[in-house]
Amino acid sequence: MTSLRESLRRAVGALATTGRVLTGRQIAGRGVTVFPDDVFLVSYPRSGNTWTRFLLGNLLWQSDPATFLNIESRIPEIYFNPDRFMRALERPRLLKSHECFQPHYPRVIYIVRDPRDVAISYYHHNIKAGNIPDDYPMASFVPRFIAGEFDRIFGSWRDNVLSWMALRQGTPGFLLMRYEDMKRDTVMALSNVVAFLEGCSFRQIDARPEALHRAIELSSPERMRALEKEEGGQWVLMKGTRTDKPFVRSAISGAWKSQLPPESVAAIESAWSELMLSLGYELAFQAVASTVASRGEIS
Amino acid sequence: MSITWNRLRYGARALLGRNPAGRRLTVFPDDVFIVSYPRSGNTWVRFLIGNLFDPDDPITFANVESRVPEIYFFSDQQLLARSRPRILKSHEYFDPRYKRTIYIVRDPRDVAVSLYHYSIKRKTIPPGYALEEFIPRFIAGEFFEYCGSWEEHVLSWHATRKSHTGFLFLRYEDLLAHPEQELAAIANTLHAGVVSERVARAVELSSAARMRNLEEKHSSEWRLTRGTRQDVAFVRRAKSGAWQSELSPALVSTIERAWGTTMKNLGYDLLVDGDRELVKS
Repeated sequence: MTSLRESLRRAVGALATTGRVLTGRQIAGRGVTVFPDDVFLVSYPRSGNTWTRFLLGNLLWQSDPATFLNIESRIPEIYFNPDRFMRALERPRLLKSHECFQPHYPRVIYIVRDPRDVAISYYHHNIKAGNIPDDYPMASFVPRFIAGEFDRIFGSWRDNVLSWMALRQGTPGFLLMRYEDMKRDTVMALSNVVAFLEGCSFRQIDARPEALHRAIELSSPERMRALEKEEGGQWVLMKGTRTDKPFVRSAISGAWKSQLPPESVAAIESAWSELMLSLGYELAFQAVASTVASRGEIS
Repeated sequence: MSITWNRLRYGARALLGRNPAGRRLTVFPDDVFIVSYPRSGNTWVRFLIGNLFDPDDPITFANVESRVPEIYFFSDQQLLARSRPRILKSHEYFDPRYKRTIYIVRDPRDVAVSLYHYSIKRKTIPPGYALEEFIPRFIAGEFFEYCGSWEEHVLSWHATRKSHTGFLFLRYEDLLAHPEQELAAIANTLHAGVVSERVARAVELSSAARMRNLEEKHSSEWRLTRGTRQDVAFVRRAKSGAWQSELSPALVSTIERAWGTTMKNLGYDLLVDGDRELVKS
């Protein structure tokens, strides 16, 4: 009986896939067609990727500010859009991805965020997505977060960050951005991205100070929250998630200091101290003597 | 045009549940993966492990795909039907979902020589193709685009998984030098309490001479060699250091310039060690 049901389920799945493939609506994901002039905006989930998309959307399309509805046709996320749709976009394209190291991504802007803050944000995100209940203890969530149990294909925070750092850090075509630096000096961070994009055959970008300030203004947490209220229900990323929980949350750094139980902080730090220190994230607890991982350093 | 054709082919295969699993594979936590860049001893390790677990029914090229299947030859659905824990062959660069992994690395200069002959066998390059043309394309990772370059492949696993439980990093050269010792380490990683006679027997059943004989028998049936040139062997020299006679010093130095630091860190001595002082050993 179960096997009949299982066969039926598979048959329906296969038919649905076939239908999507034939009509060009199959989601691209890992199978996305990559052009040599593509720039990928990569990060672990909950690390500021959507904010960065808004910043760039508002800078590159100044006459028509970014919204949750138009962002997917400007800087689309590969997990929500069909390959056919993204192939038709004007090039060079900017694409959002959460993959660990991908050898075929030609240029990458990688955003990294303090994993202690990622933990808090990801915790709330998983409540919104219905993966864990409202009252799920943080102390139970953090070990699962460290093990990379949510969104398994993206690996753990360490897997994701380290795979990119070990292979691409210090090579041309790779720009590492810390979320914390972006928050502290957004103008500077955005200028770095502009310089990187212009080095990547992007047409000249209007990055005069007033243009930068306007893009930053249009991408503020307040505005993004207001937009989310208005149109969040129609945005693919939020389809099927709880509408009583926001996607745009606190948008601050250092929340872990007040919100993360000390044992959870200690668990994250003892798991990832080496990588955290190499990224400049100071540890709250005594650090184990460690070396800095860098490209090519093996033994 | 080719995109439309690909889409049709993919669609038809999806309907039949026949798209090769590859990176779309469903991964279970108890799966064991034998991972390497192509031409680095993966098939040999498949024989070793298969023969270790079932010495009474030795691995041949005719049964290897049913015992230690390659994820590029079967659909996810077909592989889901296998009994667990599965032992699977993969050439993927770092995939965070793999929890138990035997990774084999081989001197890239030997990989280059082996891949050159294999590419002739697969008819991706004509016989007599200039090595001077081949080597830069090899360095750029052109022959197996889904794998990345040799260095990307090795580093992606090594940087993320080194000294993790369930991850074993093996050098092909060490496996050649001490097969029984290394196979015991593999057995240990797989938590297989295996006695030494069995290890010795598995090594014997997987010798290059025996594998060559088996290849002669089954080459036209085996998925990996079917349709390739039957006059060029899949099991080649099964030795290390062939590059010393087959690659010109200029080509050796091209490879070493590209990947020297990583090679040295893996214990592969460089022929042209220009920056001896600069590189930490």
